[in-house]
Amino acid sequence: MIIDCHTHWGIAWQERDRGDPARWMAIADQHGITKAFLYPHAGIVRSDSCAVDNDTVAAVAASAPDRLIPVATAWPQMKEQGLEEVRRAVEVLGARALKFHPWLQGFSLADPYLGRICGLAAELRVPIFFHDGTPCYCLPEQIAGLARRFQATCFVLAHAGLVWNWRSAIEAARRSNVWLCLCGPPQRALEVICQRADPDRILWGSDFGFGFADSIGYWLSVFRAARIPDTMKEKILGVNPLHLLQSAL
Amino acid sequence: MLVTIDCYCAVGNDREYDFSADDLIRALDRAGVNRAVITPVDRYMVVDNCEGNKFILESAQRHPDRLIPSCSINPWFGKRGEQELRRAATEGARLLVLHPFIQGYQANDDLAWPLIEIAAEERLPVYIHTGPPGNASPWQVIDLAEQYPTADFIMGHCGATDFWNDAALAALSCENVYVEPSLARPFKFAAHMQALGPAKGVMGSFAPINDLAVEWTEMRKLLPPGDWSDFYGPNLLRLLAKRGPL
Ligand SMILES: [Zn+2]
Repeated sequence: MIIDCHTHWGIAWQERDRGDPARWMAIADQHGITKAFLYPHAGIVRSDSCAVDNDTVAAVAASAPDRLIPVATAWPQMKEQGLEEVRRAVEVLGARALKFHPWLQGFSLADPYLGRICGLAAELRVPIFFHDGTPCYCLPEQIAGLARRFQATCFVLAHAGLVWNWRSAIEAARRSNVWLCLCGPPQRALEVICQRADPDRILWGSDFGFGFADSIGYWLSVFRAARIPDTMKEKILGVNPLHLLQSAL
Repeated sequence: MLVTIDCYCAVGNDREYDFSADDLIRALDRAGVNRAVITPVDRYMVVDNCEGNKFILESAQRHPDRLIPSCSINPWFGKRGEQELRRAATEGARLLVLHPFIQGYQANDDLAWPLIEIAAEERLPVYIHTGPPGNASPWQVIDLAEQYPTADFIMGHCGATDFWNDAALAALSCENVYVEPSLARPFKFAAHMQALGPAKGVMGSFAPINDLAVEWTEMRKLLPPGDWSDFYGPNLLRLLAKRGPL
């Protein structure tokens, strides 16, 4: 069982395949991906694409309901309308998680409406994935700051600190409401993360779908080559992602 | 068969790994790679440069046909660092590694200029770790490369992750800048190479932070050695051989 916790329904895919995930799934199938959390892409680039893209991602996921887990986004800059979009995405569209990319979306984690969205996510029982590893809005310690303020909300560092900030991601994950998705740090960092962070709150992801490049094969090779006990690898790939959904529910 | 060289392999004992020259030789054999430039571990780049450079030189001397020694100097050592760079080059170092993030300066800071001048004189290519925001971006490398046109610069990691957008445009703007893929990931780096052409890249794995065989295997899938042979060794050999035959 391999659950990829970081994929996108990319702008390029939507432009070419118009909501049909067959070719996207064919690549996932090649690598034995059982399920995937499907994040938006257009919706994290333009605020005026947000609602339409949430609809698109939900529809794409609905065409493979046992394989694709829809994830939605919103824009805190849209204030009440942003909060309404979160509610609509979860309650009407069936999104199982939220995804924010504060660097691309251009808002600070100190934004008061983001705070309200974090509170709403706890109420709606959905985890929040954050792009992380990038200053000045997406550092692991900044997300840990949110986790301190919103202790009933479940936060996932969707890149576990990327290339240069994974040590800070380990520190962030000392908080019980912070999870790490191994998607970006190099192999040795993955090994260290698995030694030091709570093995129950580690996920794996490939960032597949942002463009047409197949990133799944590379990141699976890295994960498989990593000196991490097989039992832990199985947990990370197949068990923890289901617990993430259950723990938020 | 053209030579294959890995541009960046850290040898030694650091806080989270212990990778000996013999471990590296086995990894090279497994991946079918002829040679590697070996580099000091983080601690030796930040402090104890001389001890680290000597360790690298000795490690390379035990496998002279396979391993090529580099050296690293922290620019904060000033005159002492300049002397150490001259010494290391005289003893056999063939490449200068700078890591602005851990050494504590910005890549284009005038603090490092004396070292670049010496590297240009001694015909040592300069490898700069790029990517950490604020410390080492692709365009900072270009500032240096424009100022020192007789030096060769290797843009380690292509600014990964946050500066990946800049890497190809920056590298295209300066003839004496080459890109290296470790941490930039093959599926992203291949697009850079398509934009830059085969003469502008040098293959590096950053073992043991990355698995050498995984990096080479995955890269060969996307940039087949038949079409990209210069990238896998001859480009780097040409830069290293400016100081003399290897
Ligand atoms: Zn992503």
